[in-house]
Amino acid sequence: MKYLTIALAKGRLAQLAIEIFEKAGLDCSELKEKSRKLIFTDDKNKLRYIFVKAADVPTYVEYGVADIGIAGKDTLLEEGRDLYEMLDLNFGRCKMCVCGKKGSVVPSGFMRVATKYPKIAQSYFAGKKNQTIEIIKLSGSVELAPLCGLSDVIVDIVESGKTLKENDLEIMEKISDISARLIVNRVSLKMEKARITDLVEKIAKEI
Amino acid sequence: MRRWKTHTPEGALDILERECAIKREIENCIRTVYEKSGYFEIQTPVFEFYDVFADGGEEVGQTAMFKFFDRQGRILALRPDLTTPVARVCATKYEKEQFPKRISYVGSAFRDGDAVAGALQKQFTQGGAELVGDGAPEADAEVIALTIRALLACGLEDFQIDLGQAEFFKGVIEQAGLNDEKIEQIRRLTDQKSSAALAEAIKDCSIDGNIKDLILQLPDLYGGIDIALDIKRKNLGRRAAAALDNVIEIYNILKDYGLEKYIAIDLAMVQGLSYYTGVIVKGFARGVGFSVCGGGRYDNLAGEFGKSLPATGVAIGIERVISALGDKKSKISVPVVDTIVCYAKERGVAYSVAESLRADGLCVEMSQINDTLFDNAKSRKIGGIINVIAAENIEIINLSDGDMKITSIEELLGGEGK
Repeated sequence: MKYLTIALAKGRLAQLAIEIFEKAGLDCSELKEKSRKLIFTDDKNKLRYIFVKAADVPTYVEYGVADIGIAGKDTLLEEGRDLYEMLDLNFGRCKMCVCGKKGSVVPSGFMRVATKYPKIAQSYFAGKKNQTIEIIKLSGSVELAPLCGLSDVIVDIVESGKTLKENDLEIMEKISDISARLIVNRVSLKMEKARITDLVEKIAKEI
Repeated sequence: MRRWKTHTPEGALDILERECAIKREIENCIRTVYEKSGYFEIQTPVFEFYDVFADGGEEVGQTAMFKFFDRQGRILALRPDLTTPVARVCATKYEKEQFPKRISYVGSAFRDGDAVAGALQKQFTQGGAELVGDGAPEADAEVIALTIRALLACGLEDFQIDLGQAEFFKGVIEQAGLNDEKIEQIRRLTDQKSSAALAEAIKDCSIDGNIKDLILQLPDLYGGIDIALDIKRKNLGRRAAAALDNVIEIYNILKDYGLEKYIAIDLAMVQGLSYYTGVIVKGFARGVGFSVCGGGRYDNLAGEFGKSLPATGVAIGIERVISALGDKKSKISVPVVDTIVCYAKERGVAYSVAESLRADGLCVEMSQINDTLFDNAKSRKIGGIINVIAAENIEIINLSDGDMKITSIEELLGGEGK
């Protein structure tokens, strides 16, 4: 029997995923050991786990290198891959928001938007609000952009809102709710239907 | 040196001799299967007016096409698929011909951008068969059977062809009486098989209970033919019921072909609904993350070119078939050079020796004799060299054991020493 490969995003999302897998009866003890290994195998259940960068999970799954993946809705929206998104795992909850300096409003005309998520920002402003914007792609500490005058607003995920608060920023508009999703490759589901649906059902019970 | 001079653009590849031999073999397998069923090949231009493809629906949008201008300022596009040109040809060039018409093609298609699934290859090859002018389920079954036989001829075994029906979703959703935005949301969630989100989305919609149950079931309506037979017992509206009967009938026809073991059902295939008007076909092979073939019935396409014609067809992704073949590829024989005919002075004699051997079916290279020739031939695993010193003095050197014998042109071409 072929091994099913599960792609996990390195970091907190993986920890939470492992918790739910264990509740669903999978043996993940090896995964919890501190190690720099990127591939783990569970020979009993014929499963293989790979650890990849969060934003790459949808890519691995779309190409079928991984059959199943756990990814945040933010990366799924940003990557726009052709996948099955079978479960909302309900953890890793946060919001995708437009944020700006406290007391300011989202400009109605042209503006500059700093973000790690150019596609999400573009589809929100161009698609939903029919507003022309300039995107400034950053890779971290996006909150700095409006403070330094690099952009008018930012589009980013907000979890507790603490970083915003400490930097005198606030949520101006909510774009969407974000949480971890279980994704499946479109061919794998068809070719390994019984095993994958069984696994999905077990996990679904533990959400 | 100019910066990009030594590179090919992302998504465009050189296909070197071994890969090229495999690709040609696969293309020929597919061609042969098509032609034996009367699907003769046509070739259409690699680039056409953008207008031809402009209404192609969500699957190949504006951003997915390579575009440029001609001298009159008209927009041209590299063809993103080959079905649309076939429909154009049928509605124009073949307008007065007898229909149904069976047509096949093998050629490159081009898609730009990263929005297309698996479009790391911006240039890719499609082989396809289209049956134009026949609206019967027999026509759909014919192109599906043809596709299965073509995949088998390529050496693919572990694959599955899913059948869906565009009218099924449209029929079910029509009964629900929802607005367009809601319909699109349901379509997207069905496509992603997000059952929980789908339930959430229609929780507050006032829809008839039976229809609501049916919509909730949509993501799970895939598997064997039982899926279709089970759902048939439900209280379906006329449109959805007709769609379901159509899928079941196509399945039954494929049973007569003896090909039902390759067929599965997925009534939740809801991509390209503006394009497909009947059965939707998608093929999967183990080991490849993307579908290896796709198609279906598209009765409205030819009409856009001026002649309304029902049509159905399936295209095979040649590169994807090759990657699905995996280790089986090694069984495909690639051409090898059998021998090198070399000479120092007797070029004319050497040439006629080489041509005679070629006429006998050997693959023969010619070369002037030089110091590196033997080593070069050995490293290329060529079995032997024929050194033409004179018409009566020809050395045949066996490179594997170093054995050498001398013969004449008459003896050599008389059949000895080959």
